[in-house]
Order: sequence, then C-alpha cells, then structure tokens
Amino acid sequence: MIRLRSVARSVAVMLETIDLTRRFGPVTAVDKVSISVRSGELTGFVGGNGAGKTTTMRMVMGVLGIHGGRVTWQGRDVTAADRRRFGYMPEERGLYPKQGVLDQLVYLGQLAGMSAVAARRSAAGLLDRFGLADRARDKVEKLSLGNQQRVQIIGAVLADPVAMVLDEPFSGLDPTAVDAMADLLREHTRRGVPVLFSSHQLDLVDRLCDRLVIMARGRVVAAGTVDELRAGFPPRHRLVVAGDAGWTRDVRGVHVVDVDGGTALVEAEDGDPGADGQVAASLQALLREAVRRDTVLEFGPVVPPLSELYREVAA
Amino acid sequence: MTGSTGGAWLLVARREVMVRVTDRSFLVGTLVTIAIIAGLIAVQAVFASRTETYTVAVPPAATAMAETVRDRATGIDEDVVVELLAVTGDAAGRAAVADESADAMLHQEGGTWVLTTKSQPEEALQAVVTGIVRDATVQANAAAAGVSVADLQRGSELRPELLEGDAQRAQLVTIVGFAFGFLFYMASILFGVALANSVLEEKQSRVVEIIASSIPVRHLLAGKVVGNTVLAVVQLALYVAVGLVGLAFTEFSGLVTGISGPVVWFVAFFLAGFVALACLWAVAGSLASRSEDLQSTTTPLTMLIMVVFFGGLLLEGTARTVGSFVPPLSAVLMPIRLLEHAAAWYEVVLALVLLLACAALTVLVGERIYRRSLLQSGGRVTLRQAWRAED
Repeated sequence: MIRLRSVARSVAVMLETIDLTRRFGPVTAVDKVSISVRSGELTGFVGGNGAGKTTTMRMVMGVLGIHGGRVTWQGRDVTAADRRRFGYMPEERGLYPKQGVLDQLVYLGQLAGMSAVAARRSAAGLLDRFGLADRARDKVEKLSLGNQQRVQIIGAVLADPVAMVLDEPFSGLDPTAVDAMADLLREHTRRGVPVLFSSHQLDLVDRLCDRLVIMARGRVVAAGTVDELRAGFPPRHRLVVAGDAGWTRDVRGVHVVDVDGGTALVEAEDGDPGADGQVAASLQALLREAVRRDTVLEFGPVVPPLSELYREVAA
Repeated sequence: MTGSTGGAWLLVARREVMVRVTDRSFLVGTLVTIAIIAGLIAVQAVFASRTETYTVAVPPAATAMAETVRDRATGIDEDVVVELLAVTGDAAGRAAVADESADAMLHQEGGTWVLTTKSQPEEALQAVVTGIVRDATVQANAAAAGVSVADLQRGSELRPELLEGDAQRAQLVTIVGFAFGFLFYMASILFGVALANSVLEEKQSRVVEIIASSIPVRHLLAGKVVGNTVLAVVQLALYVAVGLVGLAFTEFSGLVTGISGPVVWFVAFFLAGFVALACLWAVAGSLASRSEDLQSTTTPLTMLIMVVFFGGLLLEGTARTVGSFVPPLSAVLMPIRLLEHAAAWYEVVLALVLLLACAALTVLVGERIYRRSLLQSGGRVTLRQAWRAED
C-alpha cells in the first residue's frame, strides 16, 4: 500500500530545484542541490546548522540570487507570479512589530494578490482558529513569541497558497500549537498543495512527513520516503533470551552489533537483507540456536529511529 | 484575486501613509508645528497692532491744545490714543503724573509748551504731541502774520525714494526665504529619517523577505517613496496654507498675493527635491543592518541637507545664481530668487528640469543599490559592495 501510494504520487512533482547552487564569497553554501516536492506531500527538510537549508529555501522563493541551476514549478522555470502564490515563512520571522495583527495580515494578503475584503475574512477566520481572535487589534510586538509565530503561519497560508515553503515552522510552538499547525498543513496537502518545511525536530519530521531530504555541508545526502531511507540500511533484529546472550557472537553468518545481558542486536552478515517482513536464512539459524539453548523472550526487527538514520547519513 | 503585481506599489504607499497618519507622535508633531506657526504669526500681529492709551493731565489753560492733540493723535500714529484728565492747575497736574493717575501733563510755561512725564519720556506720545503743537503754533503764528500756512510750507515736502525696493517687502522676503529653507530642511530630515527607519525596520524584522517573495522590490521602494512624498507634501501644504492665511491678518497682508506665486513654485521644487533625496534615504536605510548603523549611513545625507539649508541663507552674488540651478540646492535657492524677483521664468523652468533630472537619476541609482543591499543581512553594507553585488 505504502509503496503504491508513493509511486502514484511520484508523477506529480510540482516544485523542483535542479542543481541549485549558491556561493557566498569563497564558500559554496548550496552545491548542486536537486530536490523535488510533490503534490499533496509534506516534504521535510533536515540538516544541521549551516547545511544550506535556509539558503536553498530563499533561492526557491526568489529572495536570494541563484548562482547555478534552476527552480521549476510544474515543470517550467518558476516566475515571480508563481512565487507570489507560494506561502512563505522565512527563518527569521518577518512581521512589522508596530503594526496591528489583523491590519498586517490583510496587507500581506493584498501583496499576495487578494482583495482587502477576502484577506480580512481569511485572516479573521484563521486568527479565530488559532485562538487569537481577541488579539486582532494588538500590535505584533505585544504578542508572545509563540503567538507571533502563529500570526506568521497565518500570513503564510492566508492567501490559499499553491505551494508552501516554510523555514522552521514548528520551532517555538507548544505541543498543542504543533498539532494545530500539523493539522493546518495536512488540510493544505489534502487539496494537493506541495509543502516543503525545514525542521530540527526529527521525531516530528518522522511523524508528519511523506518524504524527507537530508542536507549536509551544502549537498543533499539522502532523499526519499522514510521507508526508502530505512531500506538503505541493513535491517537489524533484536533477540532477547532469559539467560546471557554472549554466545550469539559465535553464530556464523550473523554480525552482532551489541550484546547487553540477555539482549543482542544483530545484522545478517551475508548481505541478504530479505524481503519485507522476511528474515534472512542466517537469522533463522540464529533463532533456531536460541530456542535450542535458552528461553526466547523476544525476536523481531528493529526500526531505527530517524535520528539514527540522520546521524549515519549526515556524519 | 489578481495575478498581476501592477498595483503593488500603491498598496505599499497606502500602508506607509496609513501607518504614519495613525501614529500619535506624527499627528501630535504636525499639530504642534501648526500651532507654533499660527502662534508666531499671532504674536507678531499682536505686537504690531498694540495701541497704547495715554492719559494726559490738562490744566485749564491748555485745554484747547490738548483737545486738538486728543482728536488728531490717532490719525498721526494709529498706535497712540490720548485721553484727557482735567486738572485744576500745574501743581495738581504734576501730582497726577507723580501718582501715575496720568501718564503726562501738557501745559505752557513761559510761552513754551511742556510735556511732563514721571521718569522717562513717552516717545510715541512725545512725537505725536510735538507735531501737533508745532502745526498748531505755526498756524496761529501765520494767522497773526497774515500769511497762510500753505504758502509757508510750499516746496517743503520731502518725497521718499527707495533704491532697493520696499524695506517691508525686503523684510518679508528674508523671512519667507528663511521659511522655505527651514521647511525643506525640516521635512527632508523628518521624513527622510522616517523613511530610512521604515526600510531598516523591514530589513531588520525580515518582513522584507515575505514582501520580496510576493512583489518586486522595485515596487516596494516606489511605494515607500511615493507614500512618504505624499505625506511630506501634504504636511508642507498645510503649513504653508496656515502661514499664508495667518499672514493675511498681519501688517504684511498686502503682500500675501505677491508671494503666493513663488510659494506655489516652492511647493513644486520641494516635491522634486524631496523625491531626489527620498531614494537616497531609502538606500541609507537598506545599507544598515541595525539602527546603530543608521547613524553612519545617513550622515552624508544629513550633511547634504545642511548644505542646502545654509546655502539658501548664505550664498551671495554669482554663487547664489549658480547655486539656484544646482540640484538639490536649487530646491530652496530658486524659489527664494523668484521671491526676490531675481529670476526669469525660463531660469525657474530650467532649474526645475535639472532638479527633476537629478531626481530621476537618484531613483535609478537608488533602486539598484536598494535592491542589492536590502536582502543582505549581517552588518553594514558598503555602497561599493551593494553596487557590485549580484542580485
């Protein structure tokens, strides 16, 4: 099912960068970066500080000059008019501190091409939804940082964008707001909007994203669905027995990653990862040996958390 | 929804205006300035038309002369009104002056008219009384000698002729010329600094990233310049209107129509001069990254505006004529020369065309630097960096 879905969607690449490059003086901050964001998918953009995520996003939005490569929208070079319909949330938040919340949102909506009336209606509805209806007349600087963040998000989705580029949209939000934000993004992906967002919160990316792109030192080091990324790693199994599991080190065809008391973490050594849900022959042999020697409490595949995959590829 | 960004500058301009006119300090500042202008003119008018009423003690012997003085005083000096206080004799009169129930006593001593005051001469009263007493005496003497006063006075009139125009008008020209320079200086600094600040605010708060992803940066600059120019010109027009209306209530009222023409030209020059500088103020804002940087990026502009202000006041002779064509100095100097009737119409038009050309040039250059420095954060951007930077 999962595979089918991702195949079906892979035809609808909406927003794409092709060999995108940007230098700052002698430093190449973004080096031939190619990523694709598909219709109706949440694509997580992950990487350490200085990996080039923000620079890439700024080039996608046209606020930073491109030194090489291109950005395409629906298969052709992106235009200013296209970008005007993108929702954008910059890394360093951008709002007028001394202007009222609602007035400011209406202004941003108008800049994105909405009529004043439509912008006001949309902004008021979203403020209500984020519990900020009673703050509509306040100046932005009087709001807490979390609430300013909510206003920023509203600014990005106000004009029913055709695509979204969000730089760290979840940072600074409490868990309730994270859920509200995730719901909001899902609503937009449901109507086919491609969303690219960067985040340092890997568990969140794991939970929300259909796909992810990992950048390190200006390059893309991994990209795909989370399952595809995991598939690139040898599957690991955990065996738990009642006694000591030290004997597993002597079983042929199995590489023992770690033993701790009765728990052993192992990989099949013969390079045969087995098909989905199927266990390699050498692992079957290991299990038979365990049953013969001891009481088996647990045997099963270990799904590595995203943070572990990330550490592996970004290292 | 519209797909075009055609009217984006209008949206930006409207926001600039709305934010300023709803800003309390801007409104208060404007109202206070209007109050100061109106106040200065009112004070001027009150001082100029202040009439002094003098009470003059009159012993019976001087009654006829004193009544002549009372009846004719205001006709000679409109600021002098004389009231009479009848006293029984010279001694009673001196007593009245001494206890200040009268300002002066008019009486005759040994065939000479005497105006007695307490400790200092009342100059305005003395001048009026001197003239009236002399006329009355001459008339009486002439009648006694059997000749008419007109015969005696024939050929004695003195007609004043001024080589350098009317002193009152010259005084007004100086005042209005100073006002031109000062208004240009004030408005340029006030609106210029506000413009630079609002550019910096957008840059610093990074809201410019969102704006730049929606509309061309050129529109953002155009909107900001137009918005601030509209504000500056409307405010100036308000000040000028209050000034002209106020002037109509002073002794200069007869000259208001004479200076209205140059004032209208001044507004036109102000408009062109302001636009010429506005783009540079926006550039100054875009070169800064923090408000601390603004001090150094705006200094050259502040100096330039000082030069315009003092140039308008201090330049003389040929330098003044040349300066009245050099933008942005011409924004102040040419209207002043016009006020002095020292410039022909084609000179005015030429200066305005040069100023407009300068404005067009700064818009082009400013737009390029603004566009390239606006999205660069992290420290002050130098002009050279901004000019050479890639988009």
